[in-house]
Amino acid sequence: MARVSKNQSSEAAIAPPMAKDGAIARLVTLFGSLGRNRDKRVHYVFDAGDPNYKEIILPAEAGIHSIALRVPAAAWYERELHDQYGVEIAGHPDLRPLIFHENWPDGVHPMVDAVESVPWSNREYRFLEVQGIGIAEVAVGPVHAGIIEPGHFRFSVVGDTVLNLELRHFYTHKGAEKLFEGRSCNQGTLIAESISGDNCFAHAVAYSQAVENACRIDIPPRASAIRLIGLELERLVSHISDVGGLCTDVGFSVAASYATRIKESLLQASSRCCNTRYWRGIAVPGGVRVDLDTGKLLELSREVAEAAREFSDLAKLILTTPSIQNRFETAGILRQDVARDLAVVGPVARASGMDLDVRRDHPYAPYDQVQFDVPVTHYGDVMARARIRVEEAAISARIIQEAVNGLPAGSVLASLDTLGELQGSSAVESPRGELYYWLEARDGRLTRCHVKSPSFQNWPAMPFAVAGNIIADFPLINKSFNLSYSGCDR
Amino acid sequence: MIFEVIERSLRQPNRVIPVEALLGNCDGSRMPDVIASQLTPAISQKLVEVCPTAAFRIEECDGWACLKLSYGECIGCGKCFEPGEGAVVAAKSFTLCGNPKDQLVRVWDLERRTEIAPLRPEPGVVREQIHRLLGKALNVRQLDAGSCNGCEAEIAALTNPYYDLERFGIHFVASPKHADMLLVTGPVTRNMAEAVRATYEAVPAPKLVVAVGACGCSGGIFAGSHAVVGAVDAVIPVDGYVPGCPPTPAMLVTGILKVLRRRIAK
Ligand code: SF4
Ligand code: SF4
Repeated sequence: MARVSKNQSSEAAIAPPMAKDGAIARLVTLFGSLGRNRDKRVHYVFDAGDPNYKEIILPAEAGIHSIALRVPAAAWYERELHDQYGVEIAGHPDLRPLIFHENWPDGVHPMVDAVESVPWSNREYRFLEVQGIGIAEVAVGPVHAGIIEPGHFRFSVVGDTVLNLELRHFYTHKGAEKLFEGRSCNQGTLIAESISGDNCFAHAVAYSQAVENACRIDIPPRASAIRLIGLELERLVSHISDVGGLCTDVGFSVAASYATRIKESLLQASSRCCNTRYWRGIAVPGGVRVDLDTGKLLELSREVAEAAREFSDLAKLILTTPSIQNRFETAGILRQDVARDLAVVGPVARASGMDLDVRRDHPYAPYDQVQFDVPVTHYGDVMARARIRVEEAAISARIIQEAVNGLPAGSVLASLDTLGELQGSSAVESPRGELYYWLEARDGRLTRCHVKSPSFQNWPAMPFAVAGNIIADFPLINKSFNLSYSGCDR
Repeated sequence: MIFEVIERSLRQPNRVIPVEALLGNCDGSRMPDVIASQLTPAISQKLVEVCPTAAFRIEECDGWACLKLSYGECIGCGKCFEPGEGAVVAAKSFTLCGNPKDQLVRVWDLERRTEIAPLRPEPGVVREQIHRLLGKALNVRQLDAGSCNGCEAEIAALTNPYYDLERFGIHFVASPKHADMLLVTGPVTRNMAEAVRATYEAVPAPKLVVAVGACGCSGGIFAGSHAVVGAVDAVIPVDGYVPGCPPTPAMLVTGILKVLRRRIAK
């Protein structure tokens, strides 16, 4: 277990654990919860390079000491903790409200206070100001041009060049973590699926695994094989869509439209296979809700093979087109040290030289049985992020083929005993990277469920990739991160 | 290089789905349908118990016990199929997309096992009608009021080569000031309420508003959250509703065209 030290002042503090290379271990997540007597606690989860994550729990009634200056990745988490739990955080460089906007009154913390009728307020919010001669501010959002989610971007520019980008998110904050409380373990899946709709299956699986880990059960092999097929299909669809989106943003509309067609063919194949285009309502704690027909899965796998072949052909065209290379290369570089400081995950991390993948590093069934490569490159630009996705798409397609061909027979749902006090966690490599669920339940009802989404983790890194680029490249750089607003805002 | 691009696009087969095959289609949405003859009070009771969003309710109408299914609240989770013991199945077609709120509900008489006031099927829209409806083209602005992005993904799919919304003259525009219709997704969050109102104000009259998805219709799975104001109609007036979580592109097309037809018929 971890070291908990008291520091000079009355606030509690932790010493972040070290990884094998001597650096501070990667912060996975940081969140609050309430103990038996509704006493506030803070959970720190680190990845020190072992298969198991390291969790440190700190009593927080008297406040805590910020770790943000040593672990910059903790900065947003601590702000969220401050908003949601009202935990005092000493030494944090920026404790402006993060989740709740001007309309939210000071002093109301939803995870501890009554929120039946919260009055509307009009408090102040100050953006950072970049001062100097010739600096202009450009404000974009929350409503953007296009079919995308809302968020606010505040650019400070000199001419065309972005000096600083400040994010203001949480427009789509729906109080999801609070909404889990009181739901049955089974129904919690429905909220998990609606945290980030395009990665709904990864959320459903991560949530379900957390319940299964809490109950200490294994699910039937056929169920975990079906989950694997769904997870890899989601990654394939997501990566195809992202690469197509990059083409849209540079005006290569033939390729963009080609990508949307390949994506749609997979969604329709899913619909024929399991009557859901995005694999909603399939994963539940204990396995999968209904068995899928082996014949239909074989048909799905043929569609996957065809889509993968077409996509690799398309990707070759995209990545060798000189005008595309010109736009993608050296645009939006995320430096490896910044990526590390902010504990970035997923394809974005792998494109900046961080070799991590939950499927390999913290394996969950049945990935321990699957052989696959984890592509890593260190250029950190838009091109690198595109290439990583192209390579991963091909790997996912191959994993799906193998899983369908070797599909075990048997049942797909194990029964769960959710009586008593339960606590469990689980991580999944979603298309955007590490997704982590932590939950607590009493007699079958959730008392707490925390969701660490890869988007919450990666958003703070995006402005670092944008700084120094021209503002016209922002949509492209933003797209190459492909972060979910709803997943971040929850 | 450019020749390769041209050659490729010429080689692409035509994938457009004919409009007749889209209207009323709900494949992949898992919208439930009720087989009235199989319905019993015991089954109905079970449906009410399993439904996570209270889309199924038992109510008394005219002295009879009735089963109500409010599609605006249904998230298509499929949890009612098994306990329905054959009385609930995945719908083969779904024609309520685009309806006003009071016409999103179906009611069955549990005593007589019949549907009360079944909705008359809409007359099928034919190609010429669509061209008459849209002769002057329709500009649509999508507005995310706090969705999970599932609905966005399906709206974005409308522009792919299978649905090709542009063939009807329906076009997505970048500014509300250029829009005839707002497609609003998501429950309206507290943090978005002001922006939703402002966007609605910016649309020139006559403005059509379509609430999209279970969240847009009723708040869906997020109904009752402290961070959510409510369904879209809690904040701005709505002309038609498209249920589903998320609604499929075919359901969206059905809904958009129906709202438009109602407006033109007025
Ligand atoms: S499919 Fe719809 S009606 Fe059936 S249980 Fe789910 S939400 Fe309720
Ligand atoms: S209706 Fe469903 S898909 Fe649409 S925003 Fe709500 S939860 Fe997401």
